[in-house]
Amino acid sequence: MSGETPEKPRTGAADAPEGGDATRTAARVPAQTTAARAAGTAGAVALEAPGEAVAAAPAGGERITARLTWQKLTILPGLIALVLIGTWLWFRGAELDAIARNSLADGNVSLRIRQHIEMTAISTFFVLIIAIPLGIALTRPWLRKATPVALAVANLGQAVPSLGLLVLLVFWLNIGQTTAVAGMVVYAVLPVLANTIAGLRGIDPQLTEAARGIGMSPLGVLGKVELPLAVPLILAGVRNALVLNVGTATLATFIGGGGLGDLIASGITNQRMPVLMLGSVLTVALALLVDWLASIVELLLRPRGLEGSS
Amino acid sequence: MLVAHAATQVPCATQATEATETNEEARGARVSFWEYLGNRHAQLLADSLQHASAVLQCMVAATVIGVVIGVVTYRSEWAGDVATITGATILTVPSLALIGLLIPLVGLGVAPTVIALTLYGLLPIVRNAIVGLRGVDPALVDAARGIGMSRLRQLVKVELPLAWPPILTGIRVSTQMLMGIAAIAAFASGPGLGNSIFRGVASLGSANALNQVLAGTLGIVVLALLFDAAYVLIGRLTIPRGIRA
Repeated sequence: MSGETPEKPRTGAADAPEGGDATRTAARVPAQTTAARAAGTAGAVALEAPGEAVAAAPAGGERITARLTWQKLTILPGLIALVLIGTWLWFRGAELDAIARNSLADGNVSLRIRQHIEMTAISTFFVLIIAIPLGIALTRPWLRKATPVALAVANLGQAVPSLGLLVLLVFWLNIGQTTAVAGMVVYAVLPVLANTIAGLRGIDPQLTEAARGIGMSPLGVLGKVELPLAVPLILAGVRNALVLNVGTATLATFIGGGGLGDLIASGITNQRMPVLMLGSVLTVALALLVDWLASIVELLLRPRGLEGSS
Repeated sequence: MLVAHAATQVPCATQATEATETNEEARGARVSFWEYLGNRHAQLLADSLQHASAVLQCMVAATVIGVVIGVVTYRSEWAGDVATITGATILTVPSLALIGLLIPLVGLGVAPTVIALTLYGLLPIVRNAIVGLRGVDPALVDAARGIGMSRLRQLVKVELPLAWPPILTGIRVSTQMLMGIAAIAAFASGPGLGNSIFRGVASLGSANALNQVLAGTLGIVVLALLFDAAYVLIGRLTIPRGIRA
Protein backbone atom coordinates (compact mmCIF):
# COMPACT_ATOMS: atom_id res chain seq x y z
CA MET A 1 0.00 0.00 0.00
CA SER A 2 1.35 3.37 -0.83
CA GLY A 3 1.69 5.66 2.13
CA GLU A 4 -1.31 7.66 3.09
CA THR A 5 -0.81 11.35 3.54
CA PRO A 6 -2.00 11.85 7.07
CA GLU A 7 -2.86 15.53 6.89
CA LYS A 8 -5.51 15.28 4.23
CA PRO A 9 -7.86 12.76 5.77
CA ARG A 10 -7.55 14.23 9.19
CA THR A 11 -8.74 17.71 8.47
CA GLY A 12 -11.67 16.27 6.62
CA ALA A 13 -12.60 13.63 9.10
CA ALA A 14 -12.30 16.04 11.96
CA ASP A 15 -14.85 18.31 10.37
CA ALA A 16 -17.35 15.60 10.00
CA PRO A 17 -19.28 15.26 13.24
CA GLU A 18 -20.44 18.82 13.52
CA GLY A 19 -21.16 19.41 9.88
CA GLY A 20 -24.52 19.81 8.26
CA ASP A 21 -26.28 17.23 6.20
CA ALA A 22 -23.91 17.39 3.35
CA THR A 23 -20.95 16.72 5.55
CA ARG A 24 -22.67 13.86 7.21
CA THR A 25 -23.59 12.12 4.05
CA ALA A 26 -20.16 12.43 2.65
CA ALA A 27 -18.74 11.00 5.81
CA ARG A 28 -21.15 8.16 5.81
CA VAL A 29 -20.99 7.02 2.28
CA PRO A 30 -17.51 5.65 2.49
CA ALA A 31 -18.36 3.53 5.45
CA GLN A 32 -21.05 1.65 3.74
CA THR A 33 -18.58 0.77 1.18
CA THR A 34 -15.33 1.33 2.79
CA ALA A 35 -15.64 -1.84 1.85
CA ALA A 36 -15.11 -0.72 -1.49
CA ARG A 37 -11.61 0.38 -1.41
CA ALA A 38 -8.29 -0.24 0.05
CA ALA A 39 -7.60 2.75 2.17
CA GLY A 40 -4.82 4.31 0.19
CA THR A 41 -6.65 4.98 -3.04
CA ALA A 42 -7.59 8.50 -3.83
CA GLY A 43 -11.26 7.72 -3.67
CA ALA A 44 -11.08 6.76 -0.04
CA VAL A 45 -9.10 9.77 0.93
CA ALA A 46 -11.40 12.07 -0.91
CA LEU A 47 -14.48 10.57 0.64
CA GLU A 48 -12.99 10.59 4.03
CA ALA A 49 -12.57 14.29 3.71
CA PRO A 50 -16.10 15.54 3.45
CA GLY A 51 -17.33 19.04 3.06
CA GLU A 52 -14.78 21.59 2.08
CA ALA A 53 -11.93 19.21 2.41
CA VAL A 54 -13.23 17.36 -0.60
CA ALA A 55 -12.13 20.31 -2.62
CA ALA A 56 -8.57 19.27 -2.13
CA ALA A 57 -9.19 15.70 -3.00
CA PRO A 58 -9.25 15.44 -6.76
CA ALA A 59 -5.91 17.15 -6.93
CA GLY A 60 -4.39 16.58 -3.52
CA GLY A 61 -5.54 13.05 -2.94
CA GLU A 62 -3.64 11.94 -5.99
CA ARG A 63 -0.39 12.45 -4.23
CA ILE A 64 -0.68 8.79 -3.55
CA THR A 65 0.42 7.39 -6.84
CA ALA A 66 -2.03 4.60 -7.39
CA ARG A 67 -0.21 2.08 -9.48
CA LEU A 68 -0.95 -1.38 -10.62
CA THR A 69 1.51 -3.51 -8.66
CA TRP A 70 1.96 -7.25 -8.99
CA GLN A 71 0.91 -7.64 -5.36
CA LYS A 72 -2.42 -6.05 -6.16
CA LEU A 73 -2.85 -8.36 -9.11
CA THR A 74 -1.97 -11.60 -7.39
CA ILE A 75 -2.52 -11.65 -3.61
CA LEU A 76 -6.30 -11.44 -3.39
CA PRO A 77 -7.18 -13.71 -6.34
CA GLY A 78 -4.61 -16.16 -5.02
CA LEU A 79 -6.23 -16.19 -1.61
CA ILE A 80 -9.69 -16.58 -3.12
CA ALA A 81 -8.49 -19.46 -5.29
CA LEU A 82 -6.93 -21.17 -2.25
CA VAL A 83 -10.14 -20.82 -0.24
CA LEU A 84 -12.25 -22.12 -3.10
CA ILE A 85 -9.95 -25.11 -3.65
CA GLY A 86 -9.97 -25.80 0.09
CA THR A 87 -13.76 -25.63 0.20
CA TRP A 88 -14.03 -27.91 -2.81
CA LEU A 89 -11.72 -30.50 -1.26
CA TRP A 90 -13.63 -30.34 2.03
CA PHE A 91 -16.92 -30.49 0.24
CA ARG A 92 -15.99 -33.62 -1.70
CA GLY A 93 -15.39 -35.39 1.58
CA ALA A 94 -18.48 -33.99 3.32
CA GLU A 95 -21.37 -36.31 3.99
CA LEU A 96 -24.49 -35.18 2.19
CA ASP A 97 -27.89 -36.58 3.05
CA ALA A 98 -30.96 -36.50 0.83
CA ILE A 99 -32.00 -32.98 1.85
CA ALA A 100 -28.57 -31.49 1.35
CA ARG A 101 -28.12 -33.27 -1.97
CA ASN A 102 -31.51 -32.04 -3.02
CA SER A 103 -30.64 -28.38 -2.42
CA LEU A 104 -27.52 -28.76 -4.55
CA ALA A 105 -28.85 -30.99 -7.31
CA ASP A 106 -29.51 -30.18 -10.96
CA GLY A 107 -26.92 -27.49 -11.31
CA ASN A 108 -28.59 -25.46 -8.58
CA VAL A 109 -25.25 -24.06 -7.45
CA SER A 110 -24.25 -22.72 -10.86
CA LEU A 111 -27.79 -21.40 -11.37
CA ARG A 112 -27.58 -19.45 -8.11
CA ILE A 113 -24.16 -18.08 -8.97
CA ARG A 114 -25.44 -16.97 -12.35
CA GLN A 115 -28.52 -15.34 -10.84
CA HIS A 116 -26.38 -13.55 -8.30
CA ILE A 117 -24.04 -12.15 -10.93
CA GLU A 118 -26.96 -11.20 -13.16
CA MET A 119 -28.76 -9.31 -10.41
CA THR A 120 -25.57 -7.53 -9.41
CA ALA A 121 -24.73 -6.52 -12.97
CA ILE A 122 -28.22 -5.35 -13.91
CA SER A 123 -28.79 -3.38 -10.74
CA THR A 124 -25.35 -1.76 -10.95
CA PHE A 125 -26.07 -0.72 -14.52
CA PHE A 126 -29.31 0.96 -13.50
CA VAL A 127 -27.73 2.57 -10.46
CA LEU A 128 -25.12 4.16 -12.67
CA ILE A 129 -27.45 5.43 -15.37
CA ILE A 130 -29.70 6.92 -12.70
CA ALA A 131 -27.26 8.26 -10.15
CA ILE A 132 -24.56 9.81 -12.32
CA PRO A 133 -26.79 11.94 -14.61
CA LEU A 134 -28.84 12.91 -11.56
CA GLY A 135 -25.67 13.89 -9.74
CA ILE A 136 -24.55 15.99 -12.69
CA ALA A 137 -27.95 17.67 -12.94
CA LEU A 138 -28.03 18.44 -9.24
CA THR A 139 -24.72 20.26 -9.39
CA ARG A 140 -25.71 22.53 -12.31
CA PRO A 141 -26.39 26.12 -11.24
CA TRP A 142 -30.13 25.95 -11.99
CA LEU A 143 -30.63 23.01 -9.66
CA ARG A 144 -28.01 23.78 -7.08
CA LYS A 145 -30.67 24.76 -4.56
CA ALA A 146 -31.99 21.21 -4.64
CA THR A 147 -28.63 19.65 -3.78
CA PRO A 148 -28.96 19.87 0.02
CA VAL A 149 -32.41 18.33 -0.24
CA ALA A 150 -31.07 15.45 -2.32
CA LEU A 151 -28.23 14.91 0.11
CA ALA A 152 -30.61 14.96 3.06
CA VAL A 153 -32.80 12.36 1.35
CA ALA A 154 -29.74 10.25 0.56
CA ASN A 155 -28.72 10.56 4.16
CA LEU A 156 -32.10 9.56 5.51
CA GLY A 157 -32.36 6.73 3.00
CA GLN A 158 -29.25 5.17 4.47
CA ALA A 159 -31.16 4.60 7.69
CA VAL A 160 -33.61 2.27 5.94
CA PRO A 161 -32.48 -1.35 6.38
CA SER A 162 -31.90 -3.09 3.05
CA LEU A 163 -33.90 -6.11 4.18
CA GLY A 164 -36.94 -4.02 5.06
CA LEU A 165 -36.72 -2.12 1.78
CA LEU A 166 -36.64 -5.30 -0.33
CA VAL A 167 -39.53 -6.90 1.53
CA LEU A 168 -41.65 -3.74 1.39
CA LEU A 169 -41.24 -3.62 -2.38
CA VAL A 170 -42.81 -7.07 -2.56
CA PHE A 171 -46.18 -5.63 -1.55
CA TRP A 172 -46.00 -3.31 -4.50
CA LEU A 173 -44.20 -5.34 -7.19
CA ASN A 174 -44.82 -8.93 -6.08
CA ILE A 175 -42.07 -11.46 -5.38
CA GLY A 176 -39.36 -12.30 -7.86
CA GLN A 177 -36.05 -11.28 -9.29
CA THR A 178 -37.29 -8.02 -10.80
CA THR A 179 -38.39 -6.80 -7.40
CA ALA A 180 -35.04 -7.75 -5.92
CA VAL A 181 -33.22 -5.81 -8.63
CA ALA A 182 -35.51 -2.81 -8.13
CA GLY A 183 -34.77 -2.85 -4.39
CA MET A 184 -31.05 -3.11 -5.00
CA VAL A 185 -31.18 -0.14 -7.36
CA VAL A 186 -33.11 2.01 -4.88
CA TYR A 187 -30.75 1.06 -2.09
CA ALA A 188 -27.52 1.74 -4.00
CA VAL A 189 -28.57 4.89 -5.91
CA LEU A 190 -28.37 7.12 -2.87
CA PRO A 191 -24.73 6.55 -1.89
CA VAL A 192 -23.54 6.72 -5.48
CA LEU A 193 -25.52 9.92 -6.00
CA ALA A 194 -23.96 11.44 -2.88
CA ASN A 195 -20.54 10.40 -4.17
CA THR A 196 -21.06 11.99 -7.57
CA ILE A 197 -22.32 15.23 -6.06
CA ALA A 198 -19.40 15.37 -3.64
CA GLY A 199 -16.99 14.73 -6.52
CA LEU A 200 -18.39 17.44 -8.77
CA ARG A 201 -18.75 19.96 -5.99
CA GLY A 202 -15.23 19.27 -4.82
CA ILE A 203 -13.66 20.54 -8.03
CA ASP A 204 -11.57 23.62 -7.59
CA PRO A 205 -13.80 26.52 -8.74
CA GLN A 206 -10.73 28.25 -10.16
CA LEU A 207 -10.42 25.49 -12.75
CA THR A 208 -14.01 25.79 -13.96
CA GLU A 209 -13.71 29.55 -13.94
CA ALA A 210 -10.57 29.37 -16.02
CA ALA A 211 -12.34 27.08 -18.47
CA ARG A 212 -15.22 29.53 -18.75
CA GLY A 213 -12.73 32.33 -19.07
CA ILE A 214 -11.15 30.84 -22.19
CA GLY A 215 -14.61 30.76 -23.73
CA MET A 216 -15.81 27.20 -23.13
CA SER A 217 -19.54 26.57 -23.20
CA PRO A 218 -21.18 25.17 -20.06
CA LEU A 219 -21.34 21.79 -21.79
CA GLY A 220 -17.68 22.03 -22.70
CA VAL A 221 -16.75 22.84 -19.11
CA LEU A 222 -18.71 19.84 -17.93
CA GLY A 223 -17.32 17.42 -20.50
CA LYS A 224 -13.74 18.62 -20.72
CA VAL A 225 -13.03 19.79 -17.17
CA GLU A 226 -15.52 18.74 -14.53
CA LEU A 227 -16.20 15.14 -15.51
CA PRO A 228 -12.57 14.17 -16.11
CA LEU A 229 -11.65 15.63 -12.74
CA ALA A 230 -14.51 13.78 -11.06
CA VAL A 231 -13.65 10.46 -12.68
CA PRO A 232 -11.85 9.01 -9.63
CA LEU A 233 -14.82 9.70 -7.40
CA ILE A 234 -17.31 8.43 -9.94
CA LEU A 235 -15.27 5.25 -10.35
CA ALA A 236 -15.24 4.89 -6.58
CA GLY A 237 -19.01 5.20 -6.77
CA VAL A 238 -19.20 2.41 -9.33
CA ARG A 239 -17.17 0.14 -7.12
CA ASN A 240 -19.33 1.21 -4.26
CA ALA A 241 -22.50 0.25 -6.08
CA LEU A 242 -21.06 -3.11 -7.10
CA VAL A 243 -20.08 -4.04 -3.57
CA LEU A 244 -23.39 -2.89 -2.11
CA ASN A 245 -25.30 -4.81 -4.75
CA VAL A 246 -23.40 -8.06 -4.29
CA GLY A 247 -24.33 -7.83 -0.62
CA THR A 248 -27.97 -6.89 -1.14
CA ALA A 249 -28.34 -9.64 -3.76
CA THR A 250 -27.85 -12.21 -0.99
CA LEU A 251 -31.13 -10.96 0.49
CA ALA A 252 -33.01 -11.56 -2.76
CA THR A 253 -33.70 -15.10 -1.64
CA PHE A 254 -36.16 -13.84 0.98
CA ILE A 255 -38.36 -12.38 -1.72
CA GLY A 256 -38.07 -15.24 -4.18
CA GLY A 257 -35.29 -13.70 -6.23
CA GLY A 258 -32.80 -16.57 -6.00
CA GLY A 259 -29.08 -15.88 -5.90
CA LEU A 260 -26.46 -17.31 -3.61
CA GLY A 261 -28.47 -16.27 -0.57
CA ASP A 262 -30.70 -19.18 -1.50
CA LEU A 263 -28.03 -21.70 -0.54
CA ILE A 264 -27.31 -19.86 2.70
CA ALA A 265 -30.98 -19.57 3.64
CA SER A 266 -31.81 -23.17 2.85
CA GLY A 267 -28.68 -24.26 4.72
CA ILE A 268 -29.86 -22.36 7.80
CA THR A 269 -33.52 -23.41 7.68
CA ASN A 270 -32.75 -27.07 6.94
CA GLN A 271 -29.79 -27.16 9.32
CA ARG A 272 -27.52 -28.53 6.60
CA MET A 273 -24.07 -27.19 7.33
CA PRO A 274 -22.39 -28.28 4.06
CA VAL A 275 -24.99 -26.33 2.06
CA LEU A 276 -24.65 -23.34 4.37
CA MET A 277 -20.86 -23.37 4.19
CA LEU A 278 -20.80 -23.76 0.42
CA GLY A 279 -23.25 -20.89 -0.05
CA SER A 280 -21.39 -18.61 2.35
CA VAL A 281 -17.94 -19.33 0.94
CA LEU A 282 -19.12 -18.80 -2.63
CA THR A 283 -20.80 -15.52 -1.66
CA VAL A 284 -17.71 -14.25 0.12
CA ALA A 285 -15.49 -15.27 -2.80
CA LEU A 286 -17.79 -13.57 -5.29
CA ALA A 287 -17.95 -10.36 -3.23
CA LEU A 288 -14.17 -10.17 -2.84
CA LEU A 289 -13.61 -10.98 -6.50
CA VAL A 290 -16.05 -8.29 -7.67
CA ASP A 291 -14.43 -5.72 -5.41
CA TRP A 292 -10.98 -6.73 -6.65
CA LEU A 293 -11.99 -6.48 -10.30
CA ALA A 294 -13.56 -3.09 -9.64
CA SER A 295 -10.38 -1.88 -7.94
CA ILE A 296 -8.30 -2.91 -10.96
CA VAL A 297 -10.69 -1.17 -13.35
CA GLU A 298 -10.61 1.87 -11.08
CA LEU A 299 -6.85 2.05 -11.46
CA LEU A 300 -6.84 1.49 -15.19
CA LEU A 301 -9.49 4.06 -16.04
CA ARG A 302 -8.11 6.86 -13.90
CA PRO A 303 -7.21 9.81 -16.11
CA ARG A 304 -3.45 9.88 -16.59
CA GLY A 305 -3.21 13.60 -16.07
CA LEU A 306 -4.39 13.36 -12.49
CA GLU A 307 -1.68 10.97 -11.38
CA GLY A 308 1.35 13.13 -11.17
CA SER A 309 -0.35 16.37 -10.23
CA SER A 310 0.23 18.34 -7.03
CA MET B 1 -26.07 -9.39 29.11
CA LEU B 2 -27.37 -10.27 25.67
CA VAL B 3 -28.04 -13.83 26.73
CA ALA B 4 -30.45 -12.59 29.33
CA HIS B 5 -32.30 -10.64 26.66
CA ALA B 6 -32.72 -13.66 24.49
CA ALA B 7 -34.09 -15.61 27.40
CA THR B 8 -36.75 -13.03 28.14
CA GLN B 9 -37.66 -12.63 24.52
CA VAL B 10 -39.90 -15.65 24.14
CA PRO B 11 -42.30 -15.24 27.07
CA CYS B 12 -42.46 -11.54 26.48
CA ALA B 13 -43.47 -11.96 22.87
CA THR B 14 -46.16 -14.57 23.45
CA GLN B 15 -47.60 -12.63 26.34
CA ALA B 16 -47.91 -9.56 24.22
CA THR B 17 -49.60 -11.47 21.44
CA GLU B 18 -52.14 -13.05 23.72
CA ALA B 19 -52.89 -10.04 25.80
CA THR B 20 -53.28 -7.38 23.17
CA GLU B 21 -54.45 -9.01 20.00
CA THR B 22 -57.97 -7.88 19.29
CA ASN B 23 -60.63 -10.21 18.06
CA GLU B 24 -60.67 -8.56 14.71
CA GLU B 25 -57.02 -9.21 14.05
CA ALA B 26 -57.23 -12.73 15.45
CA ARG B 27 -59.90 -13.53 12.90
CA GLY B 28 -57.45 -12.60 10.20
CA ALA B 29 -59.04 -9.33 9.21
CA ARG B 30 -56.81 -6.60 7.87
CA VAL B 31 -56.32 -3.80 10.35
CA SER B 32 -54.84 -0.38 9.71
CA PHE B 33 -51.19 0.23 10.47
CA TRP B 34 -52.04 2.40 13.48
CA GLU B 35 -54.41 -0.20 14.85
CA TYR B 36 -51.72 -2.81 14.33
CA LEU B 37 -49.22 -0.70 16.25
CA GLY B 38 -51.75 -0.30 19.04
CA ASN B 39 -52.46 -4.02 19.19
CA ARG B 40 -48.87 -5.12 19.06
CA HIS B 41 -47.13 -2.29 20.84
CA ALA B 42 -45.88 -4.49 23.67
CA GLN B 43 -44.19 -6.95 21.36
CA LEU B 44 -42.85 -4.28 19.02
CA LEU B 45 -41.48 -2.36 21.97
CA ALA B 46 -39.75 -5.49 23.24
CA ASP B 47 -38.28 -6.13 19.78
CA SER B 48 -37.14 -2.50 19.50
CA LEU B 49 -35.50 -2.59 22.90
CA GLN B 50 -33.68 -5.78 22.02
CA HIS B 51 -32.61 -4.34 18.69
CA ALA B 52 -31.33 -1.17 20.33
CA SER B 53 -29.63 -2.97 23.16
CA ALA B 54 -27.94 -5.49 20.84
CA VAL B 55 -26.62 -2.68 18.64
CA LEU B 56 -25.61 -0.56 21.63
CA GLN B 57 -23.74 -3.33 23.41
CA CYS B 58 -21.97 -4.43 20.27
CA MET B 59 -21.07 -0.82 19.51
CA VAL B 60 -19.55 -0.35 22.96
CA ALA B 61 -17.49 -3.51 22.50
CA ALA B 62 -16.56 -2.49 18.96
CA THR B 63 -15.52 1.00 20.05
CA VAL B 64 -13.26 -0.28 22.81
CA ILE B 65 -11.66 -2.96 20.63
CA GLY B 66 -11.45 -0.65 17.62
CA VAL B 67 -9.72 2.17 19.48
CA VAL B 68 -7.29 -0.31 21.08
CA ILE B 69 -6.42 -1.74 17.67
CA GLY B 70 -5.99 1.79 16.34
CA VAL B 71 -3.71 2.78 19.23
CA VAL B 72 -1.61 -0.37 18.85
CA THR B 73 -1.16 -0.12 15.08
CA TYR B 74 -1.13 3.53 14.05
CA ARG B 75 2.54 4.17 14.77
CA SER B 76 3.76 1.55 12.38
CA GLU B 77 2.91 2.36 8.81
CA TRP B 78 2.85 -1.32 7.93
CA ALA B 79 0.62 -2.48 10.81
CA GLY B 80 -1.80 0.41 10.37
CA ASP B 81 -2.15 -0.26 6.65
CA VAL B 82 -2.65 -3.97 7.24
CA ALA B 83 -5.38 -3.21 9.79
CA THR B 84 -7.09 -0.77 7.43
CA ILE B 85 -6.92 -3.02 4.39
CA THR B 86 -8.08 -6.07 6.34
CA GLY B 87 -11.00 -4.03 7.63
CA ALA B 88 -11.95 -2.81 4.17
CA THR B 89 -11.81 -6.36 2.84
CA ILE B 90 -13.98 -7.77 5.61
CA LEU B 91 -16.52 -5.00 5.03
CA THR B 92 -17.04 -6.20 1.45
CA VAL B 93 -18.27 -9.53 2.79
CA PRO B 94 -22.08 -9.63 2.68
CA SER B 95 -23.47 -9.88 6.19
CA LEU B 96 -25.66 -12.89 5.48
CA ALA B 97 -22.59 -14.80 4.29
CA LEU B 98 -20.58 -13.86 7.37
CA ILE B 99 -23.42 -14.96 9.63
CA GLY B 100 -23.62 -18.15 7.56
CA LEU B 101 -19.94 -18.83 8.17
CA LEU B 102 -20.36 -18.21 11.91
CA ILE B 103 -23.30 -20.58 12.42
CA PRO B 104 -21.30 -23.82 12.05
CA LEU B 105 -18.81 -22.43 14.57
CA VAL B 106 -21.06 -20.95 17.27
CA GLY B 107 -24.57 -22.10 16.48
CA LEU B 108 -27.71 -20.05 15.97
CA GLY B 109 -29.11 -17.16 17.98
CA VAL B 110 -27.38 -14.48 19.96
CA ALA B 111 -23.78 -15.66 19.50
CA PRO B 112 -23.44 -15.20 15.71
CA THR B 113 -25.40 -11.94 15.95
CA VAL B 114 -23.08 -10.46 18.55
CA ILE B 115 -19.93 -11.60 16.78
CA ALA B 116 -21.07 -10.36 13.38
CA LEU B 117 -22.29 -7.01 14.73
CA THR B 118 -19.14 -6.39 16.74
CA LEU B 119 -16.91 -7.34 13.81
CA TYR B 120 -18.68 -5.09 11.31
CA GLY B 121 -18.90 -2.29 13.86
CA LEU B 122 -15.19 -2.53 14.51
CA LEU B 123 -14.00 -1.80 11.01
CA PRO B 124 -15.01 1.85 10.42
CA ILE B 125 -13.83 2.67 13.93
CA VAL B 126 -10.39 1.11 13.44
CA ARG B 127 -9.97 2.96 10.17
CA ASN B 128 -11.02 6.31 11.54
CA ALA B 129 -8.99 5.82 14.74
CA ILE B 130 -5.86 5.17 12.70
CA VAL B 131 -6.51 8.11 10.39
CA GLY B 132 -7.30 10.35 13.37
CA LEU B 133 -4.31 9.33 15.45
CA ARG B 134 -1.93 9.62 12.52
CA GLY B 135 -3.29 13.06 11.78
CA VAL B 136 -2.40 14.53 15.17
CA ASP B 137 0.19 17.25 14.70
CA PRO B 138 3.57 15.76 15.75
CA ALA B 139 4.52 19.15 17.21
CA LEU B 140 1.71 18.82 19.77
CA VAL B 141 2.86 15.36 20.82
CA ASP B 142 6.40 16.68 21.02
CA ALA B 143 5.25 19.53 23.23
CA ALA B 144 3.44 17.06 25.48
CA ARG B 145 6.64 15.04 25.80
CA GLY B 146 8.52 18.25 26.41
CA ILE B 147 6.48 19.13 29.47
CA GLY B 148 7.22 15.69 30.87
CA MET B 149 4.11 13.67 30.03
CA SER B 150 4.53 9.91 30.01
CA ARG B 151 3.70 7.98 26.85
CA LEU B 152 0.36 6.94 28.31
CA ARG B 153 -0.56 10.45 29.36
CA GLN B 154 0.39 11.78 25.93
CA LEU B 155 -2.00 9.28 24.44
CA VAL B 156 -4.87 9.89 26.83
CA LYS B 157 -4.52 13.65 27.30
CA VAL B 158 -3.39 14.78 23.86
CA GLU B 159 -3.66 12.27 21.05
CA LEU B 160 -6.99 10.58 21.76
CA PRO B 161 -8.93 13.81 22.44
CA LEU B 162 -7.63 15.23 19.16
CA ALA B 163 -8.48 12.04 17.29
CA TRP B 164 -11.91 11.77 18.92
CA PRO B 165 -13.99 13.58 16.25
CA PRO B 166 -13.07 11.14 13.46
CA ILE B 167 -13.50 8.21 15.85
CA LEU B 168 -16.99 9.46 16.72
CA THR B 169 -17.77 9.70 13.01
CA GLY B 170 -16.68 6.10 12.67
CA ILE B 171 -18.97 5.15 15.54
CA ARG B 172 -21.93 6.84 13.86
CA VAL B 173 -21.26 5.16 10.55
CA SER B 174 -20.90 1.79 12.26
CA THR B 175 -24.09 2.18 14.24
CA GLN B 176 -26.15 2.90 11.19
CA MET B 177 -24.70 -0.08 9.40
CA LEU B 178 -25.32 -2.36 12.38
CA MET B 179 -28.99 -1.36 12.52
CA GLY B 180 -29.52 -2.97 9.12
CA ILE B 181 -27.25 -5.95 9.74
CA ALA B 182 -29.04 -6.72 13.01
CA ALA B 183 -32.27 -7.03 11.02
CA ILE B 184 -30.65 -9.65 8.79
CA ALA B 185 -29.25 -11.49 11.81
CA ALA B 186 -32.82 -12.23 12.88
CA PHE B 187 -32.79 -14.92 10.20
CA ALA B 188 -30.23 -16.78 12.31
CA SER B 189 -32.61 -16.45 15.29
CA GLY B 190 -31.00 -13.24 16.47
CA PRO B 191 -32.94 -10.75 18.59
CA GLY B 192 -34.64 -7.56 17.44
CA LEU B 193 -36.94 -5.95 14.91
CA GLY B 194 -35.73 -8.17 12.07
CA ASN B 195 -38.03 -10.78 13.59
CA SER B 196 -41.01 -8.60 12.81
CA ILE B 197 -39.85 -8.31 9.18
CA PHE B 198 -39.26 -12.03 8.86
CA ARG B 199 -42.65 -12.81 10.41
CA GLY B 200 -44.13 -10.71 7.63
CA VAL B 201 -42.03 -12.54 5.01
CA ALA B 202 -43.19 -15.88 6.37
CA SER B 203 -46.84 -14.87 6.13
CA LEU B 204 -46.71 -12.99 2.83
CA GLY B 205 -50.24 -12.77 1.49
CA SER B 206 -51.87 -12.85 4.90
CA ALA B 207 -53.84 -9.84 6.01
CA ASN B 208 -51.28 -8.22 8.27
CA ALA B 209 -48.02 -9.12 6.58
CA LEU B 210 -47.54 -5.57 5.35
CA ASN B 211 -48.11 -4.19 8.83
CA GLN B 212 -45.50 -6.54 10.27
CA VAL B 213 -42.86 -5.63 7.70
CA LEU B 214 -43.67 -1.94 7.89
CA ALA B 215 -43.52 -1.90 11.68
CA GLY B 216 -40.13 -3.65 11.68
CA THR B 217 -38.63 -1.44 8.98
CA LEU B 218 -39.91 1.86 10.33
CA GLY B 219 -38.88 0.80 13.82
CA ILE B 220 -35.31 0.36 12.62
CA VAL B 221 -35.37 3.72 10.83
CA VAL B 222 -36.59 5.43 14.00
CA LEU B 223 -33.95 3.70 16.11
CA ALA B 224 -31.23 4.68 13.64
CA LEU B 225 -32.31 8.32 13.74
CA LEU B 226 -32.52 8.31 17.55
CA PHE B 227 -29.00 6.89 17.83
CA ASP B 228 -27.74 9.45 15.35
CA ALA B 229 -29.28 12.27 17.37
CA ALA B 230 -27.67 10.85 20.49
CA TYR B 231 -24.28 10.90 18.77
CA VAL B 232 -24.70 14.52 17.77
CA LEU B 233 -25.35 15.27 21.43
CA ILE B 234 -22.38 13.19 22.56
CA GLY B 235 -20.25 15.06 20.05
CA ARG B 236 -21.36 18.41 21.48
CA LEU B 237 -20.55 17.26 24.98
CA THR B 238 -17.28 15.42 24.43
CA ILE B 239 -15.40 17.14 21.63
CA PRO B 240 -12.94 19.54 23.23
CA ARG B 241 -13.97 23.14 22.73
CA GLY B 242 -10.68 24.06 21.08
CA ILE B 243 -11.04 21.78 18.07
CA ARG B 244 -14.73 22.20 17.32
CA ALA B 245 -15.40 23.28 13.80
